[in-house]
Order: sequence, then structure tokens, then C-alpha cells
Amino acid sequence: MIELAMVPVFLPLATFGVLAVLWPLRHSGMPAAWLSVASALASCVAAILAWTGAPVAGEPAQGMVFDWLVHDGKTIAEVGFRLDAISAPMLVVVTFVAACVQVYSLGYMAHEPRPALGRYFAWHSLFIVAMSGMVLAPNMLQFLACWELVGLCSYLLIGFYWDKPSAGRAAVKAVWVTRFADIGLMSGVVLLYVTTGGFAFEMTGDSGAATLVAALLFCGVMGKSAQVPLHVWLPDAMEGPTPVSALLHAATMVAAGVFLVVRAWPIFEAAPPVLTAMTWIGAVTALVAACTALVQHDIKKVLAYSTCSQLGYMVAALGTGSFFGGYFHLTTHAFFKALLFLAAGSVIHAVGTNDLREMGGLAKKTKLTAGLFILGALALAGVPPLSGFFSKDLVLEELLHAHAYGPLLICLAAAGLTAFYMTRVVCMAFLGPASARSLEAHESPPVMLLPMGALALTAAVAGFTTGRFGNDVALAPWHFAVTAPGVAALLLALGGIALAYMKYGQGKLAGLGVPALAAFIRSGPVDGLFVRGWQQGLRPLAGVVGWVDRYVVDGAVNLFGWAALVGSERMRVLQSGKLRDATYLLVMGALVVVAWGAIGGVR
Amino acid sequence: MNGPPLEAWLALSAALFAVGLFGVLTRKNLVAILLGVELMANAANLNMVALGHFRGTPFGQAAALFSIALTVAEVVVGLAIVVLLARTHKSVDADAPSEMQG
Amino acid sequence: MPWLSITVLAPLLAAAILLLVPSSSRGTTRVLSAAASLVSLWGAIEVSLAYNLHEGGLQLRETLPLVPSLGINWDLAVDGWGVSLLLLTGLILFAGVFATWTLDDRDKDFYILLLTLVAGVLGVFVSLDLFVFFLFYEIAVLPMYLLIGIWGSTKKIEIKGPFAFALRRLDVGGREYAAMKLTLMLLIGSAFILVGIFALYQGGGARDFGMLHLAEHPLSREAQLWVFPALWLGFGSLAGVFPFHTWSPDGHASAPTAVSMLHAGVLMKLGAFGVMRVGMVLCPEGAVAWAPIVGAVAVINVVYGALGAMSQTDLKYVIAYSSVSHMGVVMLGAATLDTDGWNGAVFQMFAHGLMTGLFFALVGLVYGRAHDREIFRMGGFAKAMPGVAVFFTLAGLSSLGMPGFAGFIAEFLVFLGAWRSGNVVWALAGIVGAWVTAVYVLRAVRAIFWGEGPPERYHHLSDAKGTEWVALVLLGGCLIVFGCWPRLVLDAIDVGTSMHLPVVLQAVKPELAL
Repeated sequence: MIELAMVPVFLPLATFGVLAVLWPLRHSGMPAAWLSVASALASCVAAILAWTGAPVAGEPAQGMVFDWLVHDGKTIAEVGFRLDAISAPMLVVVTFVAACVQVYSLGYMAHEPRPALGRYFAWHSLFIVAMSGMVLAPNMLQFLACWELVGLCSYLLIGFYWDKPSAGRAAVKAVWVTRFADIGLMSGVVLLYVTTGGFAFEMTGDSGAATLVAALLFCGVMGKSAQVPLHVWLPDAMEGPTPVSALLHAATMVAAGVFLVVRAWPIFEAAPPVLTAMTWIGAVTALVAACTALVQHDIKKVLAYSTCSQLGYMVAALGTGSFFGGYFHLTTHAFFKALLFLAAGSVIHAVGTNDLREMGGLAKKTKLTAGLFILGALALAGVPPLSGFFSKDLVLEELLHAHAYGPLLICLAAAGLTAFYMTRVVCMAFLGPASARSLEAHESPPVMLLPMGALALTAAVAGFTTGRFGNDVALAPWHFAVTAPGVAALLLALGGIALAYMKYGQGKLAGLGVPALAAFIRSGPVDGLFVRGWQQGLRPLAGVVGWVDRYVVDGAVNLFGWAALVGSERMRVLQSGKLRDATYLLVMGALVVVAWGAIGGVR
Repeated sequence: MNGPPLEAWLALSAALFAVGLFGVLTRKNLVAILLGVELMANAANLNMVALGHFRGTPFGQAAALFSIALTVAEVVVGLAIVVLLARTHKSVDADAPSEMQG
Repeated sequence: MPWLSITVLAPLLAAAILLLVPSSSRGTTRVLSAAASLVSLWGAIEVSLAYNLHEGGLQLRETLPLVPSLGINWDLAVDGWGVSLLLLTGLILFAGVFATWTLDDRDKDFYILLLTLVAGVLGVFVSLDLFVFFLFYEIAVLPMYLLIGIWGSTKKIEIKGPFAFALRRLDVGGREYAAMKLTLMLLIGSAFILVGIFALYQGGGARDFGMLHLAEHPLSREAQLWVFPALWLGFGSLAGVFPFHTWSPDGHASAPTAVSMLHAGVLMKLGAFGVMRVGMVLCPEGAVAWAPIVGAVAVINVVYGALGAMSQTDLKYVIAYSSVSHMGVVMLGAATLDTDGWNGAVFQMFAHGLMTGLFFALVGLVYGRAHDREIFRMGGFAKAMPGVAVFFTLAGLSSLGMPGFAGFIAEFLVFLGAWRSGNVVWALAGIVGAWVTAVYVLRAVRAIFWGEGPPERYHHLSDAKGTEWVALVLLGGCLIVFGCWPRLVLDAIDVGTSMHLPVVLQAVKPELAL
């Protein structure tokens, strides 16, 4: 089985290599795209096959490793593959969503110039390599390496429209922020090595060290998985093409942080203070991001903040001391959020704008897209029997069992808001009177609808695998039970849907909402802090260093040079070039020597 | 061995040297400077002969002869330089050539 | 085959033959230089293949007495470090010759000096005799004066401020200024090295320049306490150790492309190599005593250099300051006195050499086409020069420590070493420095290559072509190959570290002696 699990790394790697080196093929556009799609589909099939034969929780992992770094002739780090109960499902999720997104891109990106298309698919292939390599990582070092590589893919794909200044800024910002968080992750990995002498996903013994390592690792998680206040890059990342947002910035890459916690669970488990902090940070993220999503006009930004919010759920769930709920929510979220993004892309494709205010009445023109979007929205809102209901229920249940009542209440509020903002989007985009743009809209081609259908199917039914998932992955038995938070969440969700429908679908409740607050949220207060930090912190500091270097350090060097120049100028006067001056000096010198001899001189 | 004592010879030599040095330092004419140099050289020769004589060795005279030969060569070179300088600068003034000024 | 002598002397021989070639025959000049660089590269590869990693130690030794009465010998041998650094020098030289293929002005003289310089660099990495070592060191440094002074570029800068009169006198910004500053600062460093070498020669009673003899006759602890800092500052001035780094931005900015490549790519490594190979190994007690200071200064280098790079808007200055920052990582690794730290330090020499060689080759291409170096006046260059943009991004990614590129391995090992040796602050400062690097590198990439199409006056831009690709593909490819498969050189480096580090450590902890 491990050989099958290696396919999602090596096949896309070969594809990427071919596309990178053979530029005529890359510039040919569609052939390159089909090559990449074929390898993605094959990777997906291989991943599913590997999953069926993968070890379940409690069974030993399958693996294959190669020496990578040495130290005194001994290996200190390996690279390779580790297929176990935790990596197998994630591998399936990654390759499945990636394959769907790549097929979808065949339609969505068809109008791009051909070289750009080849480049786009080459980077998609590289992304599958990096993500699969991370999922299958046998140790923390490979995890870190591939984690940075998915960040690189994110940078490249956000900046896909590199000639657009806003895309360039967004791409660079994503790296700046995530790598800022990676200062913590990298320190954590180094400390792990220093403490344990290796990079394994576990630490035994010293719980103080484990807490420190877990806290440092979690810094990285906060950046990658966009936890408040390091979430500022994710909404900007929507500058990339919509399929990229679906794959990287909703389904898989941003969930890497959550997956890191699951992967390094033995370390986090040994660090209760970090877990508690995670619960709170996750819950706050869930609420803050949901509030921000309420007031966005850009359909992708709504979904981006929604992703933030759902990542907050996952992190909060992980903080309860069991990774079942967080991991399961990651899985279902990957399906329905990818679906939502692809459907949003289909909408954007149809009307040519991201702005919700310019949409409306699209349900008539694009029936299938509308249906799929609404399905995704219901799953996200947590309406049974769609998958989101089960996973969100599980998260809330875990919060209840962990007696984390504060985070539980916050998450419940966020659940209501989630339903509200998703219904708002549905109403503004699909219902109501058709806008000028909507009248010219057209349904997307089958090549885009098909992968959406596949994702819709999984988003709808994934919830029924909860029990199996609990057994196979988390060693946690699960039976469906009606709990107070579950019921409350459902009621809140239905209430949110009803309220939003009344406000945006029927135009009632005009007084609901605080324009000043909405404007404040829309202005990006957290973003402002980062901008201030850059403008008033780092950049002036660099300026000071530049000044000091030029005028103090280099000034000292120049002072020497100047002193030598000016000094030699003074000394030059002695060289009159006149014979008699030279003779005078000669004689005077001789007299001095004689006089020195006369008074004793050197004995 | 009658005649003036060694001190007298040395005094004469010193006087000769001083006259030569005075000439070198005060004259502007290059030929006059060369003459001064010659006087100084001969003062040294006189020293050598006198000291050799009073010590009773012939090496003083030998060295003086050697020195005279060298002085001749030096004068030849020196005068040649003076002639060249006179040609280029149209003057035998020692201050005229100032190319070496820093 | 005496591969070491062949590798070292091939460039010298080619330089001598070039003297006889008429300067009008451009083709012969280039082919001969390329051939010599190929021989050196080939020799370096032969050496790395012939070096037996299991035996370790010094291998491929070649000795020939030069002045036996003074203990001066032609004594070449490689250790694991030498293997990797020879390979680096061969690669950079080969790429550098191709990067200046289109040079027109007095090209013959240029190649003669370039080849002489490289012979010096190669010689330093394999010399066991300190006299010959120092000779080669000076041969490597001195041609730089002419190379920058004659073929360099002058930057028109507006001089203002209270000291403008003094700066104007010095002709700040001119290539002669840069050449003079670089040469004088490095020669002052050489004076310190010379003092250190004489102290080693006399002080321990060896009266021999062979490093092996000197190691057997160590200096007294008191002597080491002042000889080590002399060697550190002397060699360190070439490695860009703060505050003796200011020759580097001006020098690299003024130097022609191949010279920048070689200078930042390999010459700065001579300094770091000297600190480790001569300073630390021959003065172990001094090294141990001074390590905290060396490390603290290296931390300043890393962070200060990165911030300095961020404050610059001139492309060459950005890259030059990034070299100061990255050489700080080397010195940081050296100061850890730890296996991982030393492995990382030497790997960083290797990785930074490839990376900065690539950077300067690209900067030369951009400057040669745009005739401008102000990054914020550029924009959208990727449209006209996609290949240059790709390779610039590759170099940038390696520089900010992206896994998959050689830079990551080096920096990560240094961080491991720093933390392992108990210097947590050093490790954290290094990691923060890598982040600052990410900030300014990506900012530069975006300002130069991304954005809406190039401004009006840049419409004549074109991509790299012909022989220019050689340098880009070779160096860019190596960055990825050695980044993905670090053991290609890490094994050799590790063998070198295993040989040298115990010498240093046993000076303090006798129980570590074998």
C-alpha cells in the first residue's frame, strides 16, 4: 500500500518536472493542462486505493524512509512516506479535492493565455506534491519542509495574475504573515530536535518542554490556519483564481495547520495549557471571522471569512483534548467549502464580477450552480443530514464534554451567524430581481459542473461516515446522540436562515444592522495593525539601520580615508621639489644625527 | 717627521668641508654647487691621507686615490646632468627644475 | 593524477597563456578561459569523486618542498570541507566566465585577472601550508582592485549632509572609491592574519608553516587569547564580519558581474573558511573563549544585514547586504562549536555561494538591459524577461530559506546547532533574520518583476539569451539539486567537521579526546 501512497507524490512531481523543463509543452496550454489533470486523477485513485488498505488506528504505520541529513556520520533526519490512520484520510481528501479543482479549472481557466494556463497547472501539480509530502511526512522536518512548500505554491498561485498589483501585494502578504508565524513553528521544530534528538511526532518525558514545543508549533498553526489575529492574509489571498481559493485557501492548505496538530497529537496532548489556549483562540476566531463575513460585499471574501471561522471551529475542537472532532470537521469542511468556492467561481464565471450587489436572480439562469451552492451553504450552516451538521455537532459535543462552556457559547453564536451570512449570500446572488449582469449570465460547462457534483455528493453523505471515521482514525466510538448544544446549534442555524431570508430575500427587517459597525468591520481593524507595524515599525527600523550603516559604520571608514587624504596633503608641502630644500633637509638631518651622537645617542 | 700636527690637517679639512657645504647650500648656480661638492669630497680625501699618514699605513692614500677616481666619475655625470638641465630649462639655476614638487 | 594541483594551477596556466594571446582575438580568449574553468570544475568533481568518505581525514596529498629551511612546502590536501568548497568554486568560476561572455572592454586583461584570482581561491581551500595559504589568499584578494577599478561601474549619487565635503573628496560612489576601500580594508585584515600566522609559526615552537605541525605545537592559552581574535578579525573582514563589512556593499555594487559573483560567491567564503580552518582549529582555546563574542557579532550581522538590505532601494546594494546577512549565518554556525552548527556553516558557505552567484549573474543581466538599479523605478519585468524572473525567484527563495533549496538546509542546521549549543537567542535571531529576508526579497521580486507592464523607457528589455543561460541554469539547478538531496555535499562536510571539531572541543574537554 505504501507504494500506492507514493503515487500522489511522485506522479505530480514528474508532471511538474516535465512542465517546468519542457517549456514548449508548458506553453502549449491545454495539453499541459490535460497532463496535469490526468496525473491528479491518477493520484486521487491511488490515494483512495491506498486508503482502503491503510492501517487503522492502533495498527502500525506503513512506511519507507531515506536518509536525508547526517551528523557525525549518523542520520538525524529522514525523508519518506508514512501511511497510517491519520495520514490516509487526509491524503484522500487532498487528492480528491485537488483532482476536482483541476478538472474544474479546465473550464474555468480555459480563456487564459496558453503559457499562463501551463504555468497554472504546473503549480497545481507542485501543490499536490507538497501537500501529499506533508500529509505523508514521517517526521516533523519533512512536515516543516513541505509546509513551507505549500506556502510557496500558495504564493505562486495567489500571484497567478502577477501583473495585477493587488494580486502581487496579496501574494507577498500571505508569505510575510505565514512565515512570521513560522518563526514559531521553526523554533518549535528546532527545540523538538534539541530536546529529543530527533524529529519524531512525539515527545516523552519532560512535559514542560512538550508545552513549549506545542506552543511554538501552534504559532505556525495560527499563521497557516488563519487564526485571529494572523488571519489577515487569507481574505487577501482571494486575489488568486477561484479554483485556487477552493483548493488552497479553503479545503486543504489552510487546514494544514489543523492537520499539524492532529499529526503531532502526542506532543499537543502532553501540553494542556496549549490546548486550553487553542480552544479559546479557535472560538474567538470562529466568532470574529463570522461577524466579518456578515458585512462583506465580495462573494469570495464572505467565503474566505467563513473558512477562517470554520478553521476556528476545528482548532477549538482540537483544544478539547481529542482530535476526532477537529479532524472530522476538517474533512467535511474540505468538501463543502471547496464546493462552495467552485460554485462561487461558477457564479463569477457567469456574471463576471465578485460583487454580490451586482448579482441577483441568478437561480433562474444558472439552476445547477444555484442548487449546488445552496447545498453547500446548507451543509456549512449545519442543516441535517448534510455532512456539516454531523461534524459541527461533534465539535460542539466535544466542547461540552471538555466543560469548555465559554468557547461553546461563542461557537454556538458563530453557528447562528454562519447560517445567517450564508443565507444572505444565497439571497443576494440567486434570489430576488435579476441585475443587468445576471440577465446575460449563462450556466457553466459540464467540465465545471461535474467536479462540483462530485464534491456535492461527498459534502452530502460524508456525515454518515462519522462512526467509521471515529473508529478507524481516532479510536473514538461514536453514536448519534441528541445533545443540548446540538439542538441549540440547529435551532440557531434555522433561526439564522429564517432571519436572513426575511431581511435579504423579502426585504423586511430593514432596521436590522448597525451601519457604523459594519463599516468599521469592513475597514479591517486587524489589518490596520499590521499595516501600522510595517509602516511604523519594521520599515523605519530598517531605515535606521541603513542610516547607521552609511553614516556611522561607513562614516568611520570614510573618516579614515579622508584623514589619510588630508594628512598627505599637508605633508606634501615638504616636497618642494627644489634641490636646495632637499639639501638643507639632508644637512639638518645629518646635524641632528651628529648631535644625537655627541650627547650620547645609542650606546 | 716634522711639519704641522694632525689637528692642523683635520682643522684644514673641516674648514674646506665647511666652505664646500656653504657653497652647496647658498649657491643657485648648479656648477657652483658641483664645485662645492668637489670641495667637500676633497676635504674628505685630505682627512683620509692625513689620518693614514699619522697612523703609518698606506691605506689612507689608497682610499683617497680610489675616492678621487670616483669623484672624477661623479663630476662627469654631474656635469652631464647640468648640461642636460641647461638645455631643457635654458638655465643652470638649481631652482629651475621643479618637476619633483609634490 | 595530481588533481589538486591541476585544479589549482589550470587557471594560472591559462592566465599565463592568455598573456601571449593577442588581445584582438576575442574568441580565443573566451574559449581558453572557459576551457580552464572547465578543467578546474572537472578537477573539483574528480577530487570529490576520489575523496573516500569512509576514511575521511586529509586525502589526495601532494607535497613538494619549497623552502625547507623555513618550513615552507607546497603541501596540498583536501578534507571534507575542501571537497565541497572546491566544487563550489569550480561551479561559480564556470558560471562566471559565461556570465561575462559579452564583455567588450579589455576582455583579455579581465579574464587574466579573473583566472588568477580563482587560482588563489582554489589554492586557499586545499593548502596545508600556511605560507602558501596566505600567498594564495593574497592572490585571491589583490586582483579585485584592478577588476573593480577598471571594469567596475560608477554610481551617480547625490552627496549631501554635513560631511558632504569629505565624501566628495573621497569620490564616494565611484568605482575607484569602491575598489580602494575594498582592497585597503581587506589588506588591513591581511595584516592581522600575517601577525597571527607569525605568532603561530614562532609561538608554539613549531617553526614550520605546515598546519599539521602547527596543530601539534599549539600556542599557550595566553597567546591563543590574542592570536584568535587577530585571525578572526583578519579573515572576518573578508567574511563581512560587522563592523568590517562596509567594503562589501560598495564593492559588490561597483564590481562587474563575474567579479561580484566570484567575490560574494567564493571570496567571502575564504574569510569564513580561514576563521574556521586556521583560527578555530589552530587556536582552539582562543576559539572557545571568544565563541560568545563571535556568535554575538554574527547575530548582529544576520539581523543588521537583513535590515540593511531592506533599507536599500538599489538592487545591487540589496543583494550585497543580503550577503552580509547570510555570511553572518556562516559565522553564527561557526561560533556554535557544534557538529550541526559547523555542518550548517560550511553548507551555508556552499549554498550561499551558489545563491549569491546566481543573484549577481541576474543582477548583471537586469542592469545590463535596463541600465538602472533602482528597484522601485522598475516593474513588470517578468513580461519582458520571464526567464530572469524565474531564476531571480529561485535565488530569492533559497535566500529566504525555502525548503527544497540549498539555503534551507544550511540555515536550519545552523539553527539546530545554535540551539543545541545552548545559545537560544542566536537561533531565534537567525530565524527572525530569515523572516526579514523573506520580507525584503519578496518585496524586491514584486517591485522588479511583478506588476503592470514595464514603464515606457524599459520597452527594449529582452530575456537572457545564449551563453547567459549557462550560469543561470547551472547555478539554479544546483540550488535545487543540493537542496533536495543535501547529502551530495553534506556527507563530505560532515566528514570534515568530524575531523576538525573534536580538535577544538578536546582543547576544553579532554574527555572528548579519542
